[in-house]
Amino acid sequence: MELSYQANHFPIPSSLFINPNKNFFVLDHVKYKYPTKSNVLHHHSTSRNTSSIFRQNKLSSSALYTSSHNSVISEEGNQENIMSNTAGQVIRCKAAVAWEAGKPLVIEEVEVAPPQKMEVRLKILYTSLCHTDIYFWEAKGQNSVFPRILGHEAAGIVESVGEGVTELAPGDHVLPVFTGECKNCAHCKSEESNMCSLLRINTDRGVMIHDEKSRFSINGKPIYHFVGTSTFSEYTVVHVGCVAKINPLAPLDKVCVLSCGISTGLGATLNVAKPTKGSSVAVFGLGAVGLAAAEGARIAGASRIIGIDLNASRFELAKKFGVTEFVNPKDYSKPVQEVIAEMTDGGVDRSVECTGHIDAMISAFECVHDGWGVAVLVGVPHKEAVFKTHPMNLLNERTLKGTFFGNYKPRSDLPSVVEKYMNKELELEKFITHQLPFSEINKAFDLMLKGEGLRCIIHMDH
Amino acid sequence: MNTAGQVIRCKAAVAWEAGKPLVIEEVDVAPPQKDEVRLKILYTSLCHTDVYFWEAKGQTPLFPRIFGHEAGGIVESVGEGVTDLQPGDHVLPVFTGECQQCRHCKSSESNMCDLLRINTDRGVMISDGQSRFSKDGKPIYHFVGTSTFSEYTVCHSGCVTKIDPQAPLDKVCVLSCGISTGLGATLNVAKPTKGSTVAIFGLGAVGLAAAEGARIAGASRIIGIDLNAARFENAKKFGVTECVNPKDHDKPVQEVIVAMTDGGVDRSVECTGNINAMISAFECVHDGWGVAVLVGVPNKDDAFKTHPMNLLNERTLKGTFFGNYKPKTDLPSVVAKYMNKELELEKFITHQLPFSEINKAFDYMLKGEGLRCMITMGH
Repeated sequence: MELSYQANHFPIPSSLFINPNKNFFVLDHVKYKYPTKSNVLHHHSTSRNTSSIFRQNKLSSSALYTSSHNSVISEEGNQENIMSNTAGQVIRCKAAVAWEAGKPLVIEEVEVAPPQKMEVRLKILYTSLCHTDIYFWEAKGQNSVFPRILGHEAAGIVESVGEGVTELAPGDHVLPVFTGECKNCAHCKSEESNMCSLLRINTDRGVMIHDEKSRFSINGKPIYHFVGTSTFSEYTVVHVGCVAKINPLAPLDKVCVLSCGISTGLGATLNVAKPTKGSSVAVFGLGAVGLAAAEGARIAGASRIIGIDLNASRFELAKKFGVTEFVNPKDYSKPVQEVIAEMTDGGVDRSVECTGHIDAMISAFECVHDGWGVAVLVGVPHKEAVFKTHPMNLLNERTLKGTFFGNYKPRSDLPSVVEKYMNKELELEKFITHQLPFSEINKAFDLMLKGEGLRCIIHMDH
Repeated sequence: MNTAGQVIRCKAAVAWEAGKPLVIEEVDVAPPQKDEVRLKILYTSLCHTDVYFWEAKGQTPLFPRIFGHEAGGIVESVGEGVTDLQPGDHVLPVFTGECQQCRHCKSSESNMCDLLRINTDRGVMISDGQSRFSKDGKPIYHFVGTSTFSEYTVCHSGCVTKIDPQAPLDKVCVLSCGISTGLGATLNVAKPTKGSTVAIFGLGAVGLAAAEGARIAGASRIIGIDLNAARFENAKKFGVTECVNPKDHDKPVQEVIVAMTDGGVDRSVECTGNINAMISAFECVHDGWGVAVLVGVPNKDDAFKTHPMNLLNERTLKGTFFGNYKPKTDLPSVVAKYMNKELELEKFITHQLPFSEINKAFDYMLKGEGLRCMITMGH
């Protein structure tokens, strides 16, 4: 997909930040304009009051380049990495702040404190909107704290690391993840679980674990974090256990979607449902997560992938993801699990539920074949939901499982998912239907609220 | 084998009415038809499912009926088309069968044969819709295709497992239902690893068999939960290391278990059929990796309910039927586990009775006394 550029807009070729020996890698398929000293300064002066930065934050003059341009290329084509100049200092940058539930985000100048012990500060290059952001932005059935910087699906580069961090270094290409891996607790040590006792998703917490404070502030007042990522910001601070280091050749504007939704769906199928070649799979919900689950079934060689959605307009696109048949529950007077059981001579071998609607969750369970069927629940329901079924459905040898982030351990497993994309086993471009600049981030919310598209990539550079 | 092809008149314990003591009657047992076998039952034991359908409280009642489904015997004669069994074979009749042709039988996972899976409503043979038992010309109905409270019975050959003739039938007969159900729930479905923690709900014969399975698998802690504290002492023989009586605690038992195990057990096996115990059994397993297996059969109108987050937190909920054993394919290997002393069965057999006193076995079970009562059919 061609990226569109405005004058002076260019994606920072992420490969430039790698090597202090000044060897650099060029991404052939990305057309960009090298930043030069002159245009960096120019860009800067239109966007902020540099003297005020100088005054308030006591930055040295070399640290003026604190926005999206952290690298300078001289006329000879050599690169100097000046990112390290911001290390240990507060960075002032843009963030999309949610001041109130359900109100449009406002692009504000925020201050991002340096990373403390076991934390890293990341420069976010691309981020995408996931339904969970919307859910906590609307804050209807949830505890949510405001003002908050949302966002948890993203890709970026390490700007600096805090004390005690050895596995990451400035310049590393990373995916921040809303759930982490401390590698020490019983969950991290278990082969099966990815629900780290220390770093598992916490939607209530708006501060860093280390000192229970936020690293974001505006005029000294805290702006709260969201699930430890807060990627709707040019810079963010994240616990090192929540950062997956990935192949620096992977295009960050594609693989950013692997830091949440796509991995969630893909892993639900490949790691948990585990359909065998030739089996039948039902996928409930044909949004990005459900289509990723279908993609997983396609990769696993399922013979039938039945997509269930209340929105018939999703059916056409779903074919690209391996879906072979469609069922719209609205078209039937009987429960959809009965419809599916009839279509499949007793039920599907596997089902994956990606809507979070409690009725769909029950249907997803009851539509799998007795004797061997396995249903996997992915979508998160509202707080008061009750899963209810007749116990005979279990005694008839159906298995019911739930998954979280596709059962992927973020640090250990995500790099291999990136590799699946790099070796073309997994296709990601088809998930990306829209692109927006950061300044227009609210349009991404509009698109999602209207049910348009799958993933919208938000470009953080100006 | 003078009786082949002929009606046999013999003794059977007939249940004429729900909840009334069985009466030892002379019944006529017709010869086996196509795909059927007639068995001489030598030993049988009472299992709670017999009591349940005899009481017929929450179920469709069908009387008069010959109950019994846990037994060991010998083939007396075979019907047309039966090639894998012959007169003299030592067998366990099973309340669920294996046709070996349908998708379930061909699946490596399922044991729920489309043709022969348990049917508690049916009181006749599949081939002709008739009973093989009669008295004075009137039919006496079958029970789950076995009806082992009779000196002779007729079963579908898919429900009869041929076993090692060296195996003592008065011990291994308990493997044709309850013990295999519990054992398999643990070994085949819950599959605890060595050193893991297991919670067993219900310390009757099925639960103790599940505990025995956990012991065989090398579990480090086997927590037994029962409302009847008198069961705790005996449970130690089956590997149970700690006991919890829900009556002793104000909070739900799953919270008690979670507190005892730093977040929950690795595996739980539910062997009571009480719907609240089933929910507790699920909610007491550890998030991330816990697996709960439901065994006990609840009432018709019970609903299993839990907060979906309990599933999204990576707990697995499974149900099993007959320990997921395929009767013909797998039971011989369970008998072998007993023969090589990996599995102990004597500790399950707490009482012995002659056939004429079969009603005492019902009394013991209704009072919650003992585990398995061995009923000897021989004259």
